[in-house]
Amino acid sequence: MIHDPMIPFEATIRWIKKETRDTATYAMKIADRRIARAYRFQPGQFNMLSIPGIGEAPISISSAPEEEEILHTVRVAGDVTTQLSRLRPGDAVGMRGPFGTSWPLDEVEDRDLLIVAGGLGIAPLRSAIRRILHLARRRKTASCPTGKKFILYGAKTPKDILFRDEFPRYRSAFQVHLTVDKADPEESWKGEVGLIPTLMRHVSFNPLKSIVFLCGPEVMMQVFTKELTARGVPPEKIFVAMERNMNCGVGLCGHCLFGPVFVCKDGPIFRLSRIVDFWGVREI
Amino acid sequence: MSQLILWKEDLQQLFHRLQAAYRVIGPLAADGVVGLAELENLSSLPIGHRDRQGPGVYRLENVGDADIFSFVVGPDSVKRFLHPPVQHPYTFRKSRKRLHIASPRAAPQEKPLAFFALRPCDVAALKLLDKVFLESPLKDRRYQAVRDGVFLLAVNCLHPAETCFCHAMQTGPEVRDGFDLSLTELDAGFLVEIGSEKGKEILNGVPTAEATARDAAEKAAKLEASRSRMKRSVPLRALPQVLYNHLEHPRWAETAARCLGCGNCTQVCPTCFCTTAHDHVSLACLAQKEAQWCGSRVRLWDSCFSLNFARVHGGNFRTSRKARYRHWMLHKLAYWIDQFGTPGCVGCGRCITWCPVGIDVTEELEAIAASRNVP
Ligand SMILES: Cc1cc2nc3c(=O)[nH]c(=O)nc-3n(C[C@H](O)[C@H](O)[C@H](O)COP(=O)(O)OP(=O)(O)OC[C@H]3O[C@@H](n4cnc5c(N)ncnc54)[C@H](O)[C@@H]3O)c2cc1C
Ligand code: SF4
Ligand code: SF4
Repeated sequence: MIHDPMIPFEATIRWIKKETRDTATYAMKIADRRIARAYRFQPGQFNMLSIPGIGEAPISISSAPEEEEILHTVRVAGDVTTQLSRLRPGDAVGMRGPFGTSWPLDEVEDRDLLIVAGGLGIAPLRSAIRRILHLARRRKTASCPTGKKFILYGAKTPKDILFRDEFPRYRSAFQVHLTVDKADPEESWKGEVGLIPTLMRHVSFNPLKSIVFLCGPEVMMQVFTKELTARGVPPEKIFVAMERNMNCGVGLCGHCLFGPVFVCKDGPIFRLSRIVDFWGVREI
Repeated sequence: MSQLILWKEDLQQLFHRLQAAYRVIGPLAADGVVGLAELENLSSLPIGHRDRQGPGVYRLENVGDADIFSFVVGPDSVKRFLHPPVQHPYTFRKSRKRLHIASPRAAPQEKPLAFFALRPCDVAALKLLDKVFLESPLKDRRYQAVRDGVFLLAVNCLHPAETCFCHAMQTGPEVRDGFDLSLTELDAGFLVEIGSEKGKEILNGVPTAEATARDAAEKAAKLEASRSRMKRSVPLRALPQVLYNHLEHPRWAETAARCLGCGNCTQVCPTCFCTTAHDHVSLACLAQKEAQWCGSRVRLWDSCFSLNFARVHGGNFRTSRKARYRHWMLHKLAYWIDQFGTPGCVGCGRCITWCPVGIDVTEELEAIAASRNVP
């Protein structure tokens, strides 16, 4: 990184796409050419986005590295995300990054791949999905995973499903299974209703020869990792994306500690076996 | 390495040599405590003072001690100089469409720092801070700017406070490495050890004599007496596992019932490095043209005892004080070992002295380690 990782650089919003009632995708372009050229990320990494005067927030990159713009899909939560939602194309924000670990795409090889997302957890996984689609399209296969590939995605209601328009494309390489916690009466949802583990019925894969990428609310991930280990998936092949308070993004501020690991620099994506001793410990 | 004797009256010369090249920071008594500040001359040292320390107790008294360095550490430490409590990493000026960020560079003409009479525990603490800020893949460039060129003159501890347990943490009372010069105060003079080329160079022109076997023996005896005065012990070899095995020990709740969550322990700890940052927008900036504002990023020491430390939108990972005390102690004595290969505690005893209710980290650890079978 040529730039001091503690100092933001300027990024400009190119376009904004409203995804759901509280979530939108922001395409950003780094203003300084030199910084833009040196900027490289891997699917699963995040940026610290800042609105100077308001604050900073860690946001995953939801686009693939081969795409020209850097996308962030953000849900309105508190100060920073609310202010972000008020911006328009052409407006400037601050950016630092990329930070953190990424989805281990080179570990997929010929394993069956389960991509499991709850809610907004689809954002960092979208980056991996689009990278895989990109590799599949180029079919120089060597790097394109060859096992069965699944996307299991659960949202609160049908209206909260993100990237719905992209699913037809995902189906060219993945078996996609959706579920919602609660069907919306007026929208005549025909799909599954229930928590994500209910989707496992539809999925036939080889637990000993599989790899799982998991991102969603922590309770959901805890339930799901239990289910996976019960099925015989080794914790070495389960990858979870964690969320903790983040302030610096580079392991110097201490806020993101989860047991002995810094979620910002040792994570946010962890091999479950690495953190299993603390997984589920209350208030750790 | 050869050992030298520096007569007490010649300490002045060593001090002047340092002062010529460095901004000399050393112990200074103010407001009833020994703090660290720029030393104008040697006579401003709290010579002859003793600090009486205990859990929740600190008294500085001028007892007219014959030794120059008869006091040990107060609440202040090197941390404040290398990792200041308030930092301004950058300033910003923003309109709707443009954002300008400027990060101030350290003025190059400023003299580097020399720490005068740094204690072994603080030399060890500095090594730990180096691990945190410099050995991380993305290092702290501001820390590095101050750290580069620092001179360390260490003084071995012959009058440990009641709260000191560096011997148990194997960081003192004798400094082993990481210093430029070290002094041990003997009856007649100082036994000097040279730790670096820089240290050797600063001694140029300072009158010294070759130390004898008797001097070495006096030093060994004094250090041994110092060790035997430290009563606290720490089961170093059982760490970190003994704490990992007892994450749900009933003692955590008992301690939390006493702990005020004030965060004093983290502020005085020379290795606690956590910070938080926010944007500061001054009124002067707001007075400018509409839709344009400016300000600065402010980075402050934070404490894992503060309630908001682990807050995220829609939740808080450590609301109970029990969890916050456990987190602090686990970080110091367990997580740190996994993260940086060594405990994050150097045994300086500051957290014991400055805890308003006198919670003693060694006592807590002992209580937990003692009940090996409690889940
Ligand atoms: C690695 C990582 C990736 C993330 N990716 C996304 C994403 O792609 N899209 C998205 O919408 N959200 C994402 N989040 C959550 C997002 O960071 C929070 O919603 C956001 O910080 C809320 O900030 P705020 O200022 O709006 O909220 P406030 O409640 O006003 O928070 C104030 C400050 O507290 C801290 N904070 C609050 N909540 C969180 C949190 N959940 N995680 C970390 N710090 C927090 C931040 O410093 C924030 O600025 C991610 C979080 C992490 C840790
Ligand atoms: S934990 Fe306490 S004794 Fe250990 S280094 Fe910090 S302040 Fe000193
Ligand atoms: S242990 Fe003592 S010093 Fe630390 S937060 Fe609790 S009361 Fe304050």
